[in-house]
Amino acid sequence: MNIGLNLTKEGLLRRKSVAASTALVFLTSSVLIGVGGNSSAQAAADCANKTLQLLSVGDPFEYALKEVLPQFTAETGIKVNLESLDNQTLSSRLATAFVTKKSDLDVVTVDNIWVGQYYDNGWILSLNDLIKANKDVDLKDMVPGVLYSISEWRGQFVGLPMAPYAQGVMYRTDVYKSLGIKTPAAGWTWDEYLANARKINGKTVNGKKMYGTVIVGKQPVPIVHMYTQLMAGQGARWFKKFPEAPWDFTPTLASKQNIRAATMYRDLYKVSPKEAISFDWFAAGMRFADGDIGQMYWWTPYFYLVQNKGYMSGKPSPIVGKYAIADLPSEKGKPANISTGGWQLSIPSTAECPEESFKLVKWVNSAKAQKAMAKVDKYGTQFSDFGRYSNLRDPELVKMYPYLPKLEKMLEAGNGKVSRPGMQIYPALEGVYGLQLNKILLGADVKKTLTETNSLFSNLLGGNMLLPYKGKSYDDTLQATKDLIASLS
Amino acid sequence: MLAPSFILLFALTLYPLIFAVRNAFFYWNLQTSPTPQMFVGLDNFKNAFTFTPFMASLRNTLLIAFIGIIIEITIGMFIALALSAKMPYLTFVRALLIMPTTIAPIIVGFMFRYMYWDVTGLIPWIAKTLHIPEPGAGYLGSTGTALPAILLADIWQWTPFFAIVLYAAIVSVDSEMIEAARVDGAGGIRVVWSIILPTIKPVMVVIVLLQFMKLFNIFDLVYVLTRGGPGDSTMTLSYSLFQQGLVNFNIGVAAAMTIMIVAILNILVFIYTKFVMKGAKLS
Repeated sequence: MNIGLNLTKEGLLRRKSVAASTALVFLTSSVLIGVGGNSSAQAAADCANKTLQLLSVGDPFEYALKEVLPQFTAETGIKVNLESLDNQTLSSRLATAFVTKKSDLDVVTVDNIWVGQYYDNGWILSLNDLIKANKDVDLKDMVPGVLYSISEWRGQFVGLPMAPYAQGVMYRTDVYKSLGIKTPAAGWTWDEYLANARKINGKTVNGKKMYGTVIVGKQPVPIVHMYTQLMAGQGARWFKKFPEAPWDFTPTLASKQNIRAATMYRDLYKVSPKEAISFDWFAAGMRFADGDIGQMYWWTPYFYLVQNKGYMSGKPSPIVGKYAIADLPSEKGKPANISTGGWQLSIPSTAECPEESFKLVKWVNSAKAQKAMAKVDKYGTQFSDFGRYSNLRDPELVKMYPYLPKLEKMLEAGNGKVSRPGMQIYPALEGVYGLQLNKILLGADVKKTLTETNSLFSNLLGGNMLLPYKGKSYDDTLQATKDLIASLS
Repeated sequence: MLAPSFILLFALTLYPLIFAVRNAFFYWNLQTSPTPQMFVGLDNFKNAFTFTPFMASLRNTLLIAFIGIIIEITIGMFIALALSAKMPYLTFVRALLIMPTTIAPIIVGFMFRYMYWDVTGLIPWIAKTLHIPEPGAGYLGSTGTALPAILLADIWQWTPFFAIVLYAAIVSVDSEMIEAARVDGAGGIRVVWSIILPTIKPVMVVIVLLQFMKLFNIFDLVYVLTRGGPGDSTMTLSYSLFQQGLVNFNIGVAAAMTIMIVAILNILVFIYTKFVMKGAKLS
C-alpha cells in the first residue's frame, strides 16, 4: 500500500522545502494578520482622533454653521476644520480633488444639481446603509420633497440636507396698499404677477420711485436659477422625459410653454431696474432690500436676508416690517413646480473615516443643530432653511421666522428635478442656457433664440454621448423617494 | 550636458502640449468619466464651434488686443516724451507710474468693479458731472460699453508700463543727434518722427509683441467684471476656455480650443515677426 511516503533524498528535500514554504506562509500570514489587526486598531484610533475637514460653500448658512460646530465637538469629541469657498471655486476644487483621488476632505457640501455627476462618477458615497443603521436620523421628520429634490439620486440618498431652499414671492405690503393692489392670494397666476409689477412700475410711493420687480439677469448661472422657476411654473421642461423613466434627453426648450415663459421673463425685465441685466443672486435680493422694488420672487433665504441693509451687515434694511411672503403664482390647472434647491452634506468616497464623517452629517442635519443655527444672532438671526417638520413647526422658531408655515408648503410642493434637472452634464447645459437667456433680455428674438438654444443643447448632449441616451434610467419620482424613506426608517 | 535641459524642457513644455493634443481627439468630460473615453477624431474641434461661443470670443479678443495695443502705446509714448522733457519731481512721477503695473489684474478688476458701480462709483459720477449719459444697464451691463469698460481697466494698468519702457528707450537716444537736428531747424514733431521713433523702434516692437500676447490671453478682468456678459459681448478666448475646462469640465473640447488658440496666436506672431520685426532688424 502506497501511503505516499517517499524516503528518497529528493523526497526528503522536497518535503523540507514544502515544510519550509508552509512555515514561511504561516509566518507571513501571522505577521500580516498581526499587522492587519494592529493597523485596523490603529486606523480606528486615528479616526477617533481625526479632525474632520469640512469643505463648504460660502452661502448664508455657513455663518450659522461656523458658530454651532463647537457644540458638535463638545458632544462628540470630534474636531472640525471648516473651510468655505464660493460656488464655482468649490465646484472646480471638488472635481479636481475627486478626479485625482487626492482628496483630504471628510465632508463636503454638494449642490443638488451636482448629485448626478458626483454619484455616477463614484465621487460621493451612498448613505443608505448608514442611514438604516442610525435610526436617530429620523428621515420621516424630513419633508419628502426636500429629500427628493436635493439628496436622492438613482434610489440612493447621497447626502443629508443642511440648507434646502425653495422659491417664493416677497412683496411690499405698503406699496400694494398705497396703490390699491389686491394682496396675492393662493392660486394667483403669473399673468397677475406681471400685471401687478406693471401697476407698480414707475409709481412714486412714500417719496420713492418704484420698480415693478427685479429680475436676475447675470449669465451664465444666476439667470438660470430665477428663470427656471418661471419656466417650470409655465409647465415647460428641459427634456422630453426626465426624471421619469425611460430617460430621454431630447431637449424641449423651444416649446410653446417655454416661449411664453421667456417672453414673460423679458417683460418682467422691462419693469425692473435696467442694471438687473448684471444682477446675480445677491445683487437682486439686496436690491429688494433697498426699498424701491414692489415685489420679487426668489430663493427663500432672502426672506430673512432682505432684513439686513447689505449682506450680513446686521443693520436693518428700510423694508423691515413692510414686506410679506406669498405663494408662487401658478398657471391655472397646473402645479406650481416650485424650484427646490440648496445644499446637503455628503461624504467623499475618498474619506478615510466615513463613520466619523457621517456623525457630522447626521448632527448638522438634526433638528437640534438646525434650531441652534437658527438662533445664532451674530448678524441678526440669519438661518431658517429647514427641511424638517419639527423645525418648521417649532413655535419658538415660528415666532422668530413667521413665514415658516408658508415655507413648509413651498417645500412640500417643491420639485427641484423638474426646474433644474441635475443630470450629469447639467452645469454645462446651464452655462449655455444662461448665455442665451441673457441675450433674450438684450432684445434677441425669443422664439429664434430658444430654437437656437435647443440646437445647442442637442449638440452638447450628443457630443457627450447622452443623445440618444443609452445609459440606465431610474424612475425618479417623489413616490419612489417616499418608498425609500419608508424602507430606511 | 544637454540631456538635463532637454528633459526639463520636455517635462515642462512638450509633455503638456502632447497631452493636450492627444486629449483634443478624445471624448473626455470629467462630468461623465474620470478618464478619456473614446477617440472622436475632429469632433471636439467641431463642437468648439457648435456649442461654445468661440467665434464671438475670437472677435472680442482681437478687438481687445488690437485696440488695447494702439491706445496703450500711443498714450504711453506721450507720457514717455513728457517724462523725457525733464519735468519736475521726475523720480516721484516714475514711482507713481510703476504702481498700477505692480497690482494683480484681479485686484484691478475689483477696483474697477466698484468704480463702475452706478450708486457710488467714481466713473458714473465723473460721467454725470460731465453730462455724459450713462447706459441704463450700467457700464458693465450694456453691450455697447462693457468691452470698452474692460479695456479701460487694462489701459489704466498697462499704459504706465509702456511709458516707463519707452522713456528708458528715449533717454538712451544720442542727445547729440537731437541737438544737431535742432540746429538744422527740426521742430519737436520732426525730431520725434525722424530721430526718436526710428531709434526706439526695436524696443517698441518687442513690448508691443509682449503686450499683444498678454491682451490676447486676457482673463482676470473679464472674470471679475463681466463673466463674458452681457450676452457674449465680452466673452474672450481665455474665458471661454476656462468655462469649458474648469466649469463644464469638458477636457476634450477645452484641449481642442487650446490648440486652436495657440495656432491663431502663433500665426499672428509669425506675421508680426516676419513683417514688423524684420523691418526693425530684429529677426
